[in-house]
Amino acid sequence: MSKPMIRIHNTETDEVIDREMTAAELKQYEANQAENAIAKAEAEAKATAKAAILDRLGLTADELKTILG
Amino acid sequence: MATTTNYGWTTPDDTALVKDGAAAIRTLGSSVDTTTKNLNPETTLGDIAYRSSSANVKTRLGIGSTGNVLTVTGGVPVWAAPAAGGMTLLSTTTLSGASTDISSISQDYIELRVYMYNVVVNTNAVYTVKTFNGATELSSVVGWRMSNYSTPAYISGSSFRLTSDDALNQEVSGADNTNFWALTYYDYSATTNYKNYLYLGNYTNTSAAQVAWHSFGSVASNSAINKLRFATTSGAFTAGTVEIYGVK
Repeated sequence: MSKPMIRIHNTETDEVIDREMTAAELKQYEANQAENAIAKAEAEAKATAKAAILDRLGLTADELKTILG
Repeated sequence: MATTTNYGWTTPDDTALVKDGAAAIRTLGSSVDTTTKNLNPETTLGDIAYRSSSANVKTRLGIGSTGNVLTVTGGVPVWAAPAAGGMTLLSTTTLSGASTDISSISQDYIELRVYMYNVVVNTNAVYTVKTFNGATELSSVVGWRMSNYSTPAYISGSSFRLTSDDALNQEVSGADNTNFWALTYYDYSATTNYKNYLYLGNYTNTSAAQVAWHSFGSVASNSAINKLRFATTSGAFTAGTVEIYGVK
């Protein structure tokens, strides 16, 4: 399976190179993706928890904004 | 022979003979004429005059060219083209792949202004921007990020996203192609202090809603910024333009 491509633009020479990621770059890329997936999951869990609390209170998000506003 | 106080023009003495009056008036008139001309050397519309090294003699300065400004060289005023300023387009790059590096950025300006627009990725994704000095990533930032789609979020560490923090709407829609980000790095070439940044952006999120987003903070490094890396957390860029301007 081919590795993801990256582009490098040298503004001094205006040279543009398109190439596959090196092994190190791929490792970093996958680490970033994993980190982002964790952050996304955490944010989604937080949003779900927030919605559950509002549900228990019988409030909508807009009503909560009104109270806090 | 009597003379005037300020310009030393010769005038008849009280005891001078009437018969010498015509000559005396001619002498006085010539002196007045010479002095007046010395004080008004302009010859052409727009000319101005300034004091010369000789008393009571001004030097003519011809009108400058359109757009010129008055400045000083060698202790005298001169017209000159204004010093270069404003924004200079340094590079235009089409985004491609999972990330695009823009390297060897000129260090000759005070600020970097980056416009990133019409970006398309073949799936929903979060976009990021990272700063580098050569191969070294300037991997720490602190700041603040907010949008109309999320509560403000404190930034600390290696967080470089260009989108909101809202759980369900943090990604840019893969169908969005009208987005635009404006990024400013202040004193980006400094080597003795951290760099402040200000990011502004708008995009369509995965709920097909318009998001207005901004972030400010600091790149926690004394190293100059000479490379930027634009990346997507999913898929690959299929379109998008990044223009980098140097600002003086």
